[in-house]
Amino acid sequence: MSARLYCFGNHSRARRNRFHLTVRTTATPTPDSPVPTLPYHEAPGWRTIHARPAVSPGIVTDGAQIAVEPGDAVVALTDVEKRYRRTEEVVVDALAGVSLSLPEGSYTAVMGPSGSGKSTLLNLVGGLDTPTAGTVAIAGTELSGLSEAERARVRGEEIGFVFQTFNLMPRLSAAENVAFPLVFQGVDRAERMERAEELLADVGLADRTDHRPNELSGGQRQRVAIARALAGDPALVLADEPTGNVDTETGDRVMSVLDGVNDAGNTILLVTHERRIAEHADRIVHLRDGRIQDIEPVEDAAESNESDGDAADAGAA
Amino acid sequence: MDFVETLRLSGRAIRAHKLRSALTVLGILIGIAAVVTFVTFGASLQADVVGQISETSANNVYLVAAEDDEGFAGAGRPVFTESDLDTFAGVEGVERVVPRGILSVAAISHRDDTIARTRATATTPDAFASSTFVAGESFELGSEEVVLNRRAAQSFETNASVGDTVTLTLGGGRTRNLTVVGIIDGSAGEVPFGAFGSQARVFVPTNPLYNTVVESPSAGAPQRVYPQVTVVADPAETGAVRERVEEVFPETDAAQLVPDGFELLAQTSGDLADQVEEIVSQLTRFVTGIAVIALIVGAVGIANIMLVSVTERTREIGIMKAVGARNREVMGLFLTEAVLLGVIGAALGVPVGVLGGWAATQYAEISLTLAPGWFAIAVVVGVVVGAVAGLYPAWRAARVDPIEALRYE
Repeated sequence: MSARLYCFGNHSRARRNRFHLTVRTTATPTPDSPVPTLPYHEAPGWRTIHARPAVSPGIVTDGAQIAVEPGDAVVALTDVEKRYRRTEEVVVDALAGVSLSLPEGSYTAVMGPSGSGKSTLLNLVGGLDTPTAGTVAIAGTELSGLSEAERARVRGEEIGFVFQTFNLMPRLSAAENVAFPLVFQGVDRAERMERAEELLADVGLADRTDHRPNELSGGQRQRVAIARALAGDPALVLADEPTGNVDTETGDRVMSVLDGVNDAGNTILLVTHERRIAEHADRIVHLRDGRIQDIEPVEDAAESNESDGDAADAGAA
Repeated sequence: MDFVETLRLSGRAIRAHKLRSALTVLGILIGIAAVVTFVTFGASLQADVVGQISETSANNVYLVAAEDDEGFAGAGRPVFTESDLDTFAGVEGVERVVPRGILSVAAISHRDDTIARTRATATTPDAFASSTFVAGESFELGSEEVVLNRRAAQSFETNASVGDTVTLTLGGGRTRNLTVVGIIDGSAGEVPFGAFGSQARVFVPTNPLYNTVVESPSAGAPQRVYPQVTVVADPAETGAVRERVEEVFPETDAAQLVPDGFELLAQTSGDLADQVEEIVSQLTRFVTGIAVIALIVGAVGIANIMLVSVTERTREIGIMKAVGARNREVMGLFLTEAVLLGVIGAALGVPVGVLGGWAATQYAEISLTLAPGWFAIAVVVGVVVGAVAGLYPAWRAARVDPIEALRYE
């Protein structure tokens, strides 16, 4: 079934979840489905929904139409291999043929013992590293063909990192940390700070905007980091052991914030070694010796992820 | 990434380590200040000397017997006889001819105060034709009189004034009591070898005090002989007069009296000014060159501290790259920081250097002349030094592997 979803509209980086999608709702589109003239939402057989952008804002150009397959993968790994040459003779296969796709709005956990290739997978998906073989595509952009500068752009615009050790800039305030990714996207300061304050309010830190990281608790720092990860409206939020450096209770708080981020329509890839944490996701990918051993669906997810703002669901309807 | 944000981040990184940044800036500050001090002093010295020459004696032609290739530096042989003075006076365009002899004075006393080892200039009243008398008037030839410049008059415990008597102790312990008849400003157009107007000067009449004599080849009789003669020319044709004076050199006694290896020289104030300017600027360049070494040391300081900073901030670099900073943005950030250190050093170094130059001119008792072109150069040098010193550390920062950096503790 290949229902097509057309999206139009202008994307404002500072207005998350306020992206207008005009989608065709007829079940059997013809290949040359006519694109309605303005106003789209009044054309027969089309309706406008409000959702997160299904594809990279960078790809949307004014008046262009982009076809998105329902459940189109935000991240697609195809036969990915990664080898490290330790010495002349010793070559380590960190990943040996991994194929994985993360649909829009999905919540995936990766588990595995140390040395299973979790970190390598994370670095590849995060655009920090390139595979030895196979392809990694983020929001439709094939990473292996990109220069270092272009990959940096993809990291900034498509991926939000949440690290175990928070990794906040020590001399920047909480708000400046959240706004930091936008600095490299040329967003002006007033707009950046406004966006940062909104995001900090979303994670319950509205009263901590001017605090430096060393004036915040571990849990607060991690929430700042989550807010930062969302600043650039990324296609994917990448969380690497987000609860690894906080106590259990604080960890639960952090996870509930992450759950909320997913509920709002964000795609999350979570790397953890704790089963309890991994169960927050919709499915758990078990890695062992650089291969996917098993993909286990999580039945008793705390709450439904089928939120109304999910573009993929809307498209498949 | 806009420039304002780059500046903001760099500034914050600099402020985060106040003492360290201050010491780094100090290195550049000292370098720039040293250069500016020497350049300012050199400019002041030059302006003072050159100003003095051209101001008081633009139409003077100085005659000396100088050692070959030494210019005025080798001057000092007494060769010009009284007959020669008449010869020069007869040259067309010459207004006055002023001889100058050096009188060694063991001591000079005024009341109870004695100053040892002074020098007196034996000359004629014509020497004061273009001088300003603060008090009194010129001495008369054949009288026991003396003219002092202001500095000399003030060097006694109680200032010497017109009508006072001073005692000159000459070679062999002979003493002469002279009456002070005039006090002048400056140095009466004397050839300015280190003769800044502020130096103490004592002028006595050639007759009866100057007794260096030689048998004049042309007159066949003993005559006074002088090491320096100043020919005061018609201001309209100073250059031409110099040439005419040179033309009569072969007819003079001096031509016969001049020893082997010496030659007669005639130079105008302009020639002298050029020479002095050349000497002073060579000296300034040399000393400034030494000061530049201090600047290089400062640059090494910046490079060093930036390398430390890159290592310390490896994790920050990793974060920046993870949130989308490109290599050149990381590089730009560190480069800006280094340039900022250089510019701050230069900006503070210039006023400190001017202060140093001012102190040096005060010490040398010359007036301060600023060389503003050099201030701009100093700031540019600060930028360049910062950029050069920061280039390698910034490149290292840009090359940091984000995967390693994010794991860096």
